[in-house]
Amino acid sequence: MDYFSEGLTQAVALLLALDPETFSAVWTTAIVTALALIASLVMGLPLGFALGHFRFPGRRGARLFVDWMLSLPTVVIGLIVYALLTSRGPLGEWGLLFSVPGMAFGLTLLGLPIVVSMTATAVESTDTRLTQTLLSLGADRWQLLLATLIEARFAMALAAATAFGRIVSEIGIAMMVGGNIKWHTRTITTAIALETGKGEFATGIALGIVLMLVALVVNLLVGLLRGRSNGTGGVSGGGGA
Amino acid sequence: MRKLSVILTLTLALSLTMALTLAFAGAALAAEPILVGTTTSTADTGLLDYLVPKILKDTGLEMRWIAVGTGKALEHGKNCDVDILMVHAPGAEKKFIEEGNGVSRAEFMYNDFVLVGPAKDPARIKGKGVADSLKAIAVTKAPFASRGDDSGTHKMEQGLWKVAAMPLPDKESWYIGVGQGMLATLRIAAERGAYTLTDRGTWIKYEAKDQGKSGLVILSEGDKVLLNQYSIIQLAPKCSNIKHAAAKKLEAWFLSAVGQKEIAGFKLEGKQLFFPNAAK
Amino acid sequence: MSAPLYHLRGLEVGYGEASALIVPELSIARGSILGLVGHNGSGKSTLLKLLGFLLAPRAGELFFDGRLVDAAALRAGHVLRRRAVLLGQDTCLLKRSVAANVAYGLRLRGQPYTQEAAPQEILAGALGLVGLDFAEFGARSWRELSGGEARRVALAARLVLQPEALLLDEPTTGLDRASVGHVQQAVLAARETRGATLVIASHDVDWLKSCADQVLLMDEGRITGVL
Repeated sequence: MDYFSEGLTQAVALLLALDPETFSAVWTTAIVTALALIASLVMGLPLGFALGHFRFPGRRGARLFVDWMLSLPTVVIGLIVYALLTSRGPLGEWGLLFSVPGMAFGLTLLGLPIVVSMTATAVESTDTRLTQTLLSLGADRWQLLLATLIEARFAMALAAATAFGRIVSEIGIAMMVGGNIKWHTRTITTAIALETGKGEFATGIALGIVLMLVALVVNLLVGLLRGRSNGTGGVSGGGGA
Repeated sequence: MRKLSVILTLTLALSLTMALTLAFAGAALAAEPILVGTTTSTADTGLLDYLVPKILKDTGLEMRWIAVGTGKALEHGKNCDVDILMVHAPGAEKKFIEEGNGVSRAEFMYNDFVLVGPAKDPARIKGKGVADSLKAIAVTKAPFASRGDDSGTHKMEQGLWKVAAMPLPDKESWYIGVGQGMLATLRIAAERGAYTLTDRGTWIKYEAKDQGKSGLVILSEGDKVLLNQYSIIQLAPKCSNIKHAAAKKLEAWFLSAVGQKEIAGFKLEGKQLFFPNAAK
Repeated sequence: MSAPLYHLRGLEVGYGEASALIVPELSIARGSILGLVGHNGSGKSTLLKLLGFLLAPRAGELFFDGRLVDAAALRAGHVLRRRAVLLGQDTCLLKRSVAANVAYGLRLRGQPYTQEAAPQEILAGALGLVGLDFAEFGARSWRELSGGEARRVALAARLVLQPEALLLDEPTTGLDRASVGHVQQAVLAARETRGATLVIASHDVDWLKSCADQVLLMDEGRITGVL
């Protein structure tokens, strides 16, 4: 028990003293997460929208592929990305292994399927009723597309928040692709693993506190967005057909 | 809802700014970074942290490292993912060079391993040599915690069973394959009342923190086979992408009188941990 | 009078073997009210969607305002749909305020009635027709409405468009008595003041009998009688 309370006290002290090593990890996490999230959104939102909105041959296959990607453990993604980025790998020339962009690349592979899948599901679930509604109000093809996009905004924000939560707390990819290099690619999660391995529980707990706070904020945001995106806006009264 | 979009937009914009700032900040660093593939022991003891500013001052190289098990470090070297290797598994290192992955191997320092176990010492190994100790542990079926992670320490332990002329007891119920770092293994050994092999650096740190509470003590030390030789390996020219020149420069520093003196000067809890032994 | 607004001939809607709707012949005069009565699944909703240009027939001919509605016309369906507006069963509100919802169809038509710039009287008038006070409801979010209120807002959003044809699928179902009165009056007013053509599917046979020029009984995708 005093193990825990001791660690906690030291952790708070570290945070209050703005310990540079601790904040370097926090900073790197922020950068990597931002890059990966932006990349996931820039690619994932249009892809997810297209997947949910348009009917095209191979769509079910694409959906299946995305859901499969969702279920891959992050160590497997890490391994795949390592194999891609290693100097002897197909993308070795890019020199991305053990670098911040490399980690962002790997974490994008984690975030992208989340954004695509959640966006597609959101667009799909609103689509039939919304399409009918918009068409009956006189929307042309482009107006329909645009309005559907705007109507899915909360769901997309929810997808973004969820992806953020996964990316920021990820460790397998960050460790394998980033290499946990001090001052450079050490993130909150890899630092926690390292410090705990070294028996430095205080640093581990300090970083854990930061991560827990981030998680709290993200969860609050997700809760808020879920409330908004789930509201039905339904109009059909009672029974009748 | 409008407020929310504003917040989201601001968050995104802020993240982007941060990302760009870092990109520029990174580019502004003048020192030439060199990436060392090394084992957890050199990093976790704090030796590399201690040497970084000295190396930067003497050579202009900014030493960075990926600290993993020896097996993985060698794999990184094989894949040309690091610029230079600093490892401690002579057998595997020689094979690494024979297979054409490295061109040279220079021994430059050593530390040593110790056999630790519960103070009650159920297998009665205190003061015995390593071979006799391991035999006694096996005969009494006293629990033994093994790193089990293909690290240098793990390889060393496997070699010691060979020295004791015994088969590797990895299928025995008293033999615990931990699969984690040294400190985790020590903690598990303490909890299970098991013997284990540890490098002295991790042991000193563990002992300083633990202050004898866990009941683990050194039971066998000083045996010649327990010496742990560290070498620097230059990677093969096939690794065209790496910094061969910087790697040579770094090696030269470690082998130089200055570098050797700095290694000896590193103290953990007041005790010297690494002993320079570069060939003159 | 002039040619009927709708004329259907040998019309079939459906997928695969079964036909969801078969209408050998049907004319709907401009400015008339047509009532549709029948069980759930009798084809009323399908007929309304067809008249609202949300479905393509697989056989037969559909004339609107004297012109054949063929595949090419349906490809630019929004032109037709802006003249014949459907309030369907599965209509929903947009995730916006009540005022923005009512103004939405106008915006789609390129009339700059945004929430801020809208001549409030127009929106207020449409909401008033369904018994909702603009001052009270205009700024409300779609989330803060009861089911009945949402349904009335959806109707107001269509009344405000002043279409030539208004196609209503169960407009009074699930509403309280007072709201039913508002909706019924609003529907009648649409014809009286603007000469709109109305097609209404409802379980409220008495109401249809009292207001409609003709009430058709439907069963299994066919028109089986006239009440």
